[in-house]
Order: sequence, then C-alpha cells, then structure tokens
Amino acid sequence: MTENNFTIALAGNANVGKSVIFNQLTGLHQHIGNWPGKTVEKAEGTLHFKGYSIDVIDLPGIYSLSTFSLEELVSREYIAVERPDLVINIVDASLLERNLFFTLQLLELETPMIMALNQMDMAKRKGIKIDHEKLEKLLGIPVIPTVAVSGTGIYELLEKAIEIIEKRVNMKPLKAQYGKEIEERIAKISNLVEKIQFKYPARWVAIKLLEEDKEVEKEILKINPKIVSTAEKLAREIEEIHGHSCSTVVTSERYEVASKMVREVQEITPPMKPPMRERIHTLTTHKIFGYPIMAVSVLSIFYAIFTFGDYTSGFLGDSLFGLKPIFDGMFGTGVAGKLVWGGVMEGIIGGVTVALPYILPFYFILYFLEDSGYLSRIAFLMDNIMHKIGLHGKAFIPVMLGFGCNVPGCLGCRIMETERERLLTAFVVTLVPCAATTVIILGLVGAFVSIQWALALYIINLLIIFLLGRLAFKALPGEPTALIMEMHDYRVPHLKTVLKQTWFRLWEFIKMAFPLIIVGSLVIKMIEILNLLEPIANVLSPVTVTWLGMPAEYPIGITLIFGVLRKELTLIMLATLVGTTNFAEVMTPVQMIVFTLVAMLYIPCIATIAALVREFGWKKAWFITVFEIVFAILVGGIAFRLLMLVY
Amino acid sequence: MELRLSDLRNGESGTITSMGVSRGSHRMHGRRSGHGMHRSFYHLHHRDWGFIKRLEDMGLTPGTEVTVVKSAPFNGPLEVSVRGSRLAIGRGMAERIFVEVKR
Repeated sequence: MTENNFTIALAGNANVGKSVIFNQLTGLHQHIGNWPGKTVEKAEGTLHFKGYSIDVIDLPGIYSLSTFSLEELVSREYIAVERPDLVINIVDASLLERNLFFTLQLLELETPMIMALNQMDMAKRKGIKIDHEKLEKLLGIPVIPTVAVSGTGIYELLEKAIEIIEKRVNMKPLKAQYGKEIEERIAKISNLVEKIQFKYPARWVAIKLLEEDKEVEKEILKINPKIVSTAEKLAREIEEIHGHSCSTVVTSERYEVASKMVREVQEITPPMKPPMRERIHTLTTHKIFGYPIMAVSVLSIFYAIFTFGDYTSGFLGDSLFGLKPIFDGMFGTGVAGKLVWGGVMEGIIGGVTVALPYILPFYFILYFLEDSGYLSRIAFLMDNIMHKIGLHGKAFIPVMLGFGCNVPGCLGCRIMETERERLLTAFVVTLVPCAATTVIILGLVGAFVSIQWALALYIINLLIIFLLGRLAFKALPGEPTALIMEMHDYRVPHLKTVLKQTWFRLWEFIKMAFPLIIVGSLVIKMIEILNLLEPIANVLSPVTVTWLGMPAEYPIGITLIFGVLRKELTLIMLATLVGTTNFAEVMTPVQMIVFTLVAMLYIPCIATIAALVREFGWKKAWFITVFEIVFAILVGGIAFRLLMLVY
Repeated sequence: MELRLSDLRNGESGTITSMGVSRGSHRMHGRRSGHGMHRSFYHLHHRDWGFIKRLEDMGLTPGTEVTVVKSAPFNGPLEVSVRGSRLAIGRGMAERIFVEVKR
C-alpha cells in the first residue's frame, strides 16, 4: 500500500443498493471478473478522491458469513485475509433488523468499518424513522444516511471513509455480547485459538466453532484437532442448557442484539393505505391473476426482443456483408482471402448479428426486471412447476434466458445456491431450444411441413426436457433443495446500474463466444477449401444416412455437425450444400422433422460448451455434450422409424 | 398449539418453536406426516445444517413471530413476513418449521 492508495470493500445484504453505490463511487472505472478459482463474480473499480486513489471491491450480496453459499465464503475470506483498509457496510434502512444482524457479524471480523444507511427514502415512505446518531453510538462505527439512487450522502460517505482510514477519529466498534453461558465458552475457546497462528480473529473463530462452521472446523482441525473437540464439547453443553442446537442459539442471540438495537433507534408509523408497490405485489403473486400477468409479460418480452432482433440482425448483417468487396480487394479471392472473409469476418458478423440484436436487449430487460423485483415474483409462481424436475423457482430464470440464447442461460445458473443445482439447471438450459434452434424449427418444419408439426416439435422438446431433467435429478446424488428467497419491495430500477450490468454481461459474452465462433467459422471454411466435405460425409453416412435416414445423394447430415460450431448457420449451410432454399425439393417431410429434432436436442453450439466448461470444468462439460449428441442421434433414429410408419 | 408453518392459514401468525429435521431424511420429501419424526438437532447432516442455518440467517430463529401472508397455488411456496421482510419459502422447507399458534 502506497501512501495515498487504499482499498475499500463494500459488504451488505442483497438488494440494498450496493451495486448502485458501487457505480456511484467508481463510475466507468470498473472491472468485473471472477474470484480466483471460484464462479463468484468479483467487481472492482477505482476512484480518485481528494488526492487519494481508492480501490473499491464490491463483495457479493449476502445475508450472513456462514458457509451456506460460495459467496459468503469468498466474502469472509477476503475481509479476513486480504484485509481491506476499510469495509463499508451498506444497510437497507427499511429493513434494519436483518441488516444489522449481518453488521454484527462483520464487526466480529474486527475490521475497520463504516455504515452507509441506504434507501432512506424507501424507509421514509414506509413510515420508518431512524435515529442514525444513536445507532452510531450503539455500534461504535460512523453511520452515514444515504440515498444511493440520487447520490445523496455519497460524498459524506467518502469523507468519513478517509477519516477512518487515516485514523483521524477514534471509535470503539461494538463487540456484541452473547449470554453469559456462551461468553464463558467463547472465552475458553478463543484462549486456545490465540495460541495458534490463524488468519481470523480468535473470538470470531471461537464463535464459528460453536456455530459448527464446517470450513473453520476443517482448517482448525489441520492445526490443532484438540481445539475442535473442546469446542464440540462446549457446544453440547450449550445445547443442554438451551434445548436448541448451539448454532441456533448463537444466531438467535445475535438477532436478539440486533432487534434490541432496532427498538432503540427506530420508530414506525405505517402509512394509512397500502401503497402502490404493495398492490402490484399482491396482483403479480396472485394465485389466479399472477400467472396470466406473467405469461403476458414474458411472451411480450420475447416477442419484442425477437421483432427488434430480427430487424436489427438483418440490417447489421446486410451492412457488414457490404464490406465483402473491400475485403476481396485487400486479400484477393484465393485461399487467404477465403479464410479471412469466410472464416474470420463471417464469424465476426455471425457473432455481431446475434450479440447486439438479441443478447443486448435480453440482458437489459433481465436486469431491469431483476432490479425492479419482478424476477423474484416469477420464481415464486414457478417454484412448484420447477420442483417437478427437481429444481426450485429460481431456476426458471436461467431456463427462461436459455430460450433466447443458451450461453447467458448457462452463466445465469449462478443464481442457484449449490453446485448440484447449478449443474442440474445448466443441463436443463442446454436442452432448451434457443433462438437459433427456433429458427431451424420454423424455417424448416414450420415452412415446409406444417406449422402444427413445428409446434409439436416444440412440445416434444419441452416433454423431453421434463423427462431428462427428472432423470438427472434422480441420478445426481444430494438432497432436493428448497426455495428460500427474499422478495424485496418493488422499486423503479436504477437505469445507470442496469445499463452498466447489461454492458458488462454483453462484454463477457463477446469475450467468451466470439473467439469460438471465429474458430468454428475457420474450421468450416478449411473443410470446404480442402474439399473434405465428401470424405467426412462418407464417414458419417452410417449415422446420418442409415440410422437417421437423411438423403444419401446430398451431404445433409454434415450440416448437423457444423451446427455444433454455429447453429444459426445450419439452415444457410444446408441451402449452400443442396444448392436451393426450397428444401422440399431435396428432403421428405420425415427427413425434415428428423433433421430438426436432432438439431434441437444436441448441444446448442460451441459457445455453450465453452460456457459449461467455464462454469463446471472440462469433465462435466464434455459429459453433457457427448450425452446430448448421442441422445439426439438416438432419438432421431427412433423418430425416423416411427414416422416412416405414419407417412 | 404446535403446527407446521405450512399448515397455517393465510394471514395467520405463529411463534417459531423449532426446525425439525430427522436423521436419514434424505429420501423424504413431498407430503409426509410428522409423527415419529426425530426432533433431535444433534449431528445434523451438513446439508440440513446449511438450510436451517440459511433460514435462521434470514431471521427465522426460535421465538420469532412469523406471518404466513399467502401460499402459491398447487402446493407452491409460502409467502411469509418475518422481522419486517418478505420471504418466499418452499413448501418442503415450511413443513419442517414448527410454530406455536393460538387458535
């Protein structure tokens, strides 16, 4: 740390306006990545204030510092090991009690801290009045009231931050006191812990051992197993006294401290009539009206995105293809020229015409809805249905995303709490027909067989998702998990934060998908240039022609392979290979249906595989990929034989 | 009387007494009556520990008053109000939370 260089970490519950404060502080100087080795997002930014250069780390939104989720583990390790110069605890003033429960835990990490008492406007509207000066005295840390969305209090927050870091004020942070019988035992354990070298404060370790924190137990066990067994014995004693598990007793007492504090600093005069946001909540979670509202919202969003996407995509594609003569002039029309244009440029165009027209609005609406609070209501309504495939309501969000594009769908699985749920959800997502698959269904079966068949295929796909999801749920070990989710009050989303999140997500997509789309294009071009189409088609013919019943005279089966590289090209390639867009000339209806069925079921595209690798590692990604390809071919062959009986 | 949180009527409140999880309950989900259920909290399975901890961290500790606002149709999750916040709790989870209710 140089003299004027500080690190500040933002910590707080989810939905308290943390990312808004982060944006207010750091503006455009942001970097969003992952915590090393973890699929937990890490947002970092820098800010310059009064000659200081300050690094700001936005920790994930969490409710506790136990190890329920990866996010909690990452946060507490960061605070204890990396030791930021200051932690800003962001607190929702309209939900003080639960937020203070988290504050007390942060204080136990014995880190320099100040509090931003945020959403003061919201609290006021709910009739909540908080004596922040008294709260400051009780907590022993500076408390600054803020309204992040309007920037109120942010300047004061920074000034106070500097004051504390420079140690210009001396405050004595509160050490929350538990009951006597617990305090005695905390003292005994922390005496033992003090004798060993450990990254966390001794008192904190003692409390966590009493709470039966598995991670802390594991680490202390490596250093001195006797401490763990002593703590276990003491925890049993507390259980005997209270008749609840020790972890429950500690949590209850911590909440009691928070609750007492709230009674001292807070006054509530509830508004006379239920406010608008409450009425919207009641309506959107209503047992009858909730569902049609949801259906209409989701469908109109999809409709809007696809209409916008189709138009923009066409426009962008036409404009970019207009560059071809320039490229031909520069690189010629030989092998080099073909590779540069047909490989690299067409890859880029393919990426651009998907990313900008479809992914961008998708992310924007997603974050808009999330910030407003509607997504959690959808999860509430869909919980029961998602349980049928062993998932819970939250999983509906990534699955819904998957209908647009599987890549954000896979990345969106992070909202699930456990590794098992993430994997299950991702598996379901990869089976969902994305926009490109929908194009194949409509463009081939819808246009040349009948729209009823296209619809039937869609329904078959959903049934298969349901069946496979259930199977995977049964096959993967572990308990089915339940929904525990906060439904925060409806609010008007903060547009700047939503835009920024959209932009970072889009950038993430571009970084991951573009290189692969380009490589995919290059491979396709190379095969074409080297005249390998025919040999490959011949090698594949037992599968494509014999098993799937594709026409033998055209290398149609091969486009299925190319589809793995770039699915949106499947139809275009098919047209190029057979030399016509009137597919009815070269394929029978049965062949079209089988072709579509296979394209629909196997792994969407190489970018999706990359997303899976990133989230779950090579092994699981390959397993899903190979499984889906084999499964698609199997189903395709069976369908071919069945359909032959009908037609 | 003591009931499961999932048995409360819409708008009804109760005070949490305990979170009941039985050992070896891994295959137990969906509807099942609580008779003969262990109320032992010792040596909780780690996953149970995690979810009970989560509920407690969200404010559902013994002695806390909790109100069931409504439940989603077809045995869907419950909307509950606790310590001023609004939570959605899956039915399976709500069946394991015991509350004292005045009826």
